[in-house]
Amino acid sequence: MASYRDPELRDKLAAEYVLGTLSGRARARFESLMRYDRELRRAVAGWDARLTPLALAGSEVAPPARLWRMLERRIRHTERRANWWGHLAFWRTLAVMSATLALILGVMIGRVPPPELPMSTVAVMADDSGQPAMVVSWAPMKAMRDPHIRVKILQEHPTMAATTSWELWMLPAGNAPPVSLGLVSLDRSQVMKLPPTLAGKMQGAWGMGMSVEPAGGSPTGAPTGPMIFQGRCVTIL
Amino acid sequence: MAENRLAADALSARLEGLLSQCALKNQRSFADLYALTSAKLFGVALRILRRHDWAEEVLQECYVNIWHHAGDYAATRSAPLTWMTSIVRNRCLDWLRRPQSEATGEEYDIAVEAWEDEAPGPMERLIAAGEESALARCLGQLDAKQRQSIVLAYFHGLSHSELANHLKEPLGTVKTWVRRGLERLKGCLSEGMRAKG
Repeated sequence: MASYRDPELRDKLAAEYVLGTLSGRARARFESLMRYDRELRRAVAGWDARLTPLALAGSEVAPPARLWRMLERRIRHTERRANWWGHLAFWRTLAVMSATLALILGVMIGRVPPPELPMSTVAVMADDSGQPAMVVSWAPMKAMRDPHIRVKILQEHPTMAATTSWELWMLPAGNAPPVSLGLVSLDRSQVMKLPPTLAGKMQGAWGMGMSVEPAGGSPTGAPTGPMIFQGRCVTIL
Repeated sequence: MAENRLAADALSARLEGLLSQCALKNQRSFADLYALTSAKLFGVALRILRRHDWAEEVLQECYVNIWHHAGDYAATRSAPLTWMTSIVRNRCLDWLRRPQSEATGEEYDIAVEAWEDEAPGPMERLIAAGEESALARCLGQLDAKQRQSIVLAYFHGLSHSELANHLKEPLGTVKTWVRRGLERLKGCLSEGMRAKG
């Protein structure tokens, strides 16, 4: 990890990324670092700007007319569902996804003997491309002596820039502001203890969100960075 | 040359306007954006993918992406064509590096021949484009092997091992050419910027 902080190395990697010679796992790793690292994105943009004239220096070739016709069809299809319809579709998909995962989780928990407590709420959080990135689940808070939630990271290579923290937020139903549940590490499987005041609020959870914050968490008590993962809570029996 | 520069700036401004309209889901603007850019980007995709059907498929995906993410463009602070080109190039590279589609030796030999035949070649076109002559000048200052490696990798999407194969040199040597070439290119381009400013 330390080597990624060396500015010269970072610029070299950015150059090879843009050139295309950074490949395989190194390329995938670089892309996941880039998502949370503005400086790295800037270095990549710099190389894009330097080299793009070369990419465009070849002959222009008009694509066949059918390509536009197909595109037009696909675009028209999405436009009808633009704006809030689009959001609804997104949430609907996510809800179906959550329910499916909840079912799988339920089956998995059912199989593990002895089940500690039946999990009764699950939020599958997706990243902005819709890929499931994290699962948060908890049993009825009242049934627990030490209220806690379980956090599982589904991403294969979760990464966090050096000077940032991930903060988990409970998104209450209605228009109430997000409630911080604390910082999450990169461990694939974690348990977060909740103080009784927070535990009492979990029943009203509509969704969960994960934001990128300065190291140590949000200085204001509200999310200040981008919400990188989000998902709706689903209750399972 | 100054006219070229003006034309390029005008195109950039126009594309920027169209992208912001696309963010508002204006289909008419998307059609204009496609008309102005698709031949350039199809050329980019064809040079890297070397197959018409693949290039069509990738280009379609890329324009759908551009339509959906036009709203993200403003935050990038890149020139519109730079942004769109990088979307296309990245998608092409992902496509090529899928395990099942490793290019055969023959395919890149054909590609490289085509490149050598292409008249005028990318270098000449760069020089002719005038406002981009800084890149052409700086590429011209590299050792021939460095320049060839960089142009083949960037223009045709050759990987390190494809480069080594094509140039019949050890992988390590080719990697060094690429790395040194990029270093010198950056140095040369930033000198040019300072001289201008």
